[in-house]
Amino acid sequence: MDVFVSRSGGLAGLRLTWHVRVDEQPDADDWFLLIEQIPWNEMPPEPAEPDRFTWDIRCEAPQTDGATHPDGATQAAGATQAAAPAPPAAEVQEATLAERQLTGPWRRLVDRVQETAEPQRAAPGSGRT
Amino acid sequence: MQTIVPPYLLDRIAEAADPRFPLAADAARRALLREPPARVGPLILPDEPDQPSALPDAPSTPDRRISDAQGRETLPGRLVRREGERDTGDEAVDDAYDGLGDTHRLFDRVFGRDSIDGAGMPLEATVHFGRAYDNAFWDGERMVFGDGDGEVFRGFTDSLSVIGHELAHGVTEHTARLRYQGQSGALNEHVSDAFGALVEQYALGQDATAASWLIGEGIFTDEVQGRALRSMLEPGTAYDDDVLGRDPQPAHMRDYIETDQDNGGVHLNSGIPNRAFALAARQIDGFAWESVGRVWYDTLTSGNLDENATFEQFAAETVRQAEHRFGAGSGEAAAIREGWQQVGVPTAE
Repeated sequence: MDVFVSRSGGLAGLRLTWHVRVDEQPDADDWFLLIEQIPWNEMPPEPAEPDRFTWDIRCEAPQTDGATHPDGATQAAGATQAAAPAPPAAEVQEATLAERQLTGPWRRLVDRVQETAEPQRAAPGSGRT
Repeated sequence: MQTIVPPYLLDRIAEAADPRFPLAADAARRALLREPPARVGPLILPDEPDQPSALPDAPSTPDRRISDAQGRETLPGRLVRREGERDTGDEAVDDAYDGLGDTHRLFDRVFGRDSIDGAGMPLEATVHFGRAYDNAFWDGERMVFGDGDGEVFRGFTDSLSVIGHELAHGVTEHTARLRYQGQSGALNEHVSDAFGALVEQYALGQDATAASWLIGEGIFTDEVQGRALRSMLEPGTAYDDDVLGRDPQPAHMRDYIETDQDNGGVHLNSGIPNRAFALAARQIDGFAWESVGRVWYDTLTSGNLDENATFEQFAAETVRQAEHRFGAGSGEAAAIREGWQQVGVPTAE
């Protein structure tokens, strides 16, 4: 499972991204529990607030039969994929949030991502996520 | 205002009192006088008779309220300075207070607009928002300023053009309501940059040639290789830094950036109209708030702009307003047409 967070907009229009490989975290189970609480489909589009940050949050899990965890975690940690068939298509969940929507589990996830990973500067406007 | 114009220059402008530029001379005189002493005791509002607010010689007074979020992300925070109260000694509070005063003064004295809504709405700001918060924004009711992380950004109240930029978002919201997405969003950003720059120029008594046309000068730390957040005159040249990369703003329609981020690149593509504005102002010369500033304000308040206006539609309206205010054959109208042409935005005819 990979978590990607992107912060774009803001007065300066500069973009920062963070990436956490959950399977490599010592507390991977806690991450999965937190990600399970994310209400992916309950974010209505908000009218933009000028100069405020926009947050894009994406979780990508390798598609497995049924549960993605904790089997997903052990499978990746096992890292014996050489003999495995073609890599499975990733299951992607994604949401774009106005900053004022960044509350509850969203906020906890972003805080955790920021504590875990160093931000990378990405060229503004590059990419579409 | 923390920024200093050489007093000799102010003296010259104030004394010249060129009848063509009564406002500039006035601005320079005010800059020499600085702020009136802070009031002591209860605030007494002047008993103003009903006056049309469009009279520059009947100035209104701002009603400023600065709150302190104390490092949290909760709004509005604790109210720490109201209109007429003395300096608090907190630089962010006092810079915001002074900057809002300068911004109110431009809209009031030059455009006859009393505050954001034209009806004396209080100017509310919150400072010290969040921890190491790298931004300033307008939330629909108030301006909000972070302290910056100290590595890339210092406090966001350090730049008068940034304060003017945020307040201008409020003016746009109460007038043309340009939708914050794609081209209309980039125009919304552009209008804020334009009036942010004008607030700074007005406070400094700078003409279009002397002006820096920079937005957010002084908000980067010394570590950053850059002059400002944006250059209206030369978009794409404001910074070039190991960490931040290079200023990505386009300066011409052929380089327009299509993206899903940043509401469709509103902070990127604003470079295109920004340059048209600055080029026209420099072509006309003199004080930009007297020429392009008036035309852009007329455009914003014309009622002719669609909320989803494109660059072309906005440009056409500026030309129409320039012809209306200065005459069809005027140098102002020609310079504005030319400015748009140079950035690849065609205007009708």
